[in-house]
Amino acid sequence: MPRIAANNLSFHYQQAGAGPDVVLIHGLTGDLSIWFLCQAMGVIGRAHRATAYDLRGHGYSDTPPSNYTSADQAADALAIMDALGIERATLVGHSFGGVVAMHAALIAPERVTALVLSDPSFAALRHLEDLNRWGHWENFRQEAADAGVELSGEHWYDLTRFFGQVNHLDGERLLRFRQAVGLPGFNRLIKLARTTCGDDAKAESGLTAERIGEIEQPVLALFGEFSPFLATADYLTEHLPRCVQRRVPGAKHRAPEENAAAFVALVDEFLMEQRAGRVLASVRGTE
Amino acid sequence: MTGSPTKSQILKDVASVLENRLGVVSAADLERETRFFADLGLASIDAVVLGEAVQDHYQRPLPFNLLMAEIGGRADRDLAIGELVDFIEHHLNTV
Repeated sequence: MPRIAANNLSFHYQQAGAGPDVVLIHGLTGDLSIWFLCQAMGVIGRAHRATAYDLRGHGYSDTPPSNYTSADQAADALAIMDALGIERATLVGHSFGGVVAMHAALIAPERVTALVLSDPSFAALRHLEDLNRWGHWENFRQEAADAGVELSGEHWYDLTRFFGQVNHLDGERLLRFRQAVGLPGFNRLIKLARTTCGDDAKAESGLTAERIGEIEQPVLALFGEFSPFLATADYLTEHLPRCVQRRVPGAKHRAPEENAAAFVALVDEFLMEQRAGRVLASVRGTE
Repeated sequence: MTGSPTKSQILKDVASVLENRLGVVSAADLERETRFFADLGLASIDAVVLGEAVQDHYQRPLPFNLLMAEIGGRADRDLAIGELVDFIEHHLNTV
């Protein structure tokens, strides 16, 4: 299993293809397998070098006890790029991975060619959203309830609360929950639940609305047709100078799973357009 | 390695990889019908790592990207060990 040392941690990563670099960043409680399951590795790898890695605390990467903010994890992304010799890359992030990608673009704009933001939700923009529209959270609550974890409806997608409940399961409820998520998944979740990830991921950590507006790179704001974060999509389109918005038909918050073919086709189309634009600019001597 | 391994040999190889590389304790009882996720309790990230370990074992690339994408398109997102064995056997025999 390929691993790379970065930021004093060991990260599991995978690569496919050759060409301009694209780094893929998954969301919270996920792992890099999402990029294989939706075929992003194969499709993007036809004309690019695709690099996917497991975030800290996820998959086969190390799980430190703290430092899980988007700033911390943007530093991870840049350190991984350093360690792998990736000078510049287009960053593709799903959900919290999109927040990490944007934060990395602000910390080191010269390292980020373009951004694909798939259904991110930013702490600084959360006031824009009507949280009642998030059916995903309701589904998640129901799945958790079936597995023995009761989550309050007042605390939408509160990972801290969820992790707290998982940490205090006992007896029959612990067994049910373990059966529902599988033993390896359960062990990983328990490890993550004992970190500060839940609270850290909710923190703005310097990614204010003003800073979000400073993004100058080309951005694809890719949101599910029925995403709960469409107000964020519109905000990004209005406030970022080079942002285009596209919707993934039929998808809600998890477009890479809910409509993988359309999701990957839209990402690939954007990457190829950006690449063609850079070639043209290079021929004209403007870049 | 002389010649391509039989399906029963591949099943044994997969069991060995699961036990040694992924720590699956019940790998010796593996059958073709055993489900990767539902029965062994593994996750899709484990399938990525298994794919790599299998390629190491046979010392040649196999198109696991295609297999993962196919699993991603399934309603239950699961894989029977027999399907994995067939996939490996097919591609070991494809020049």
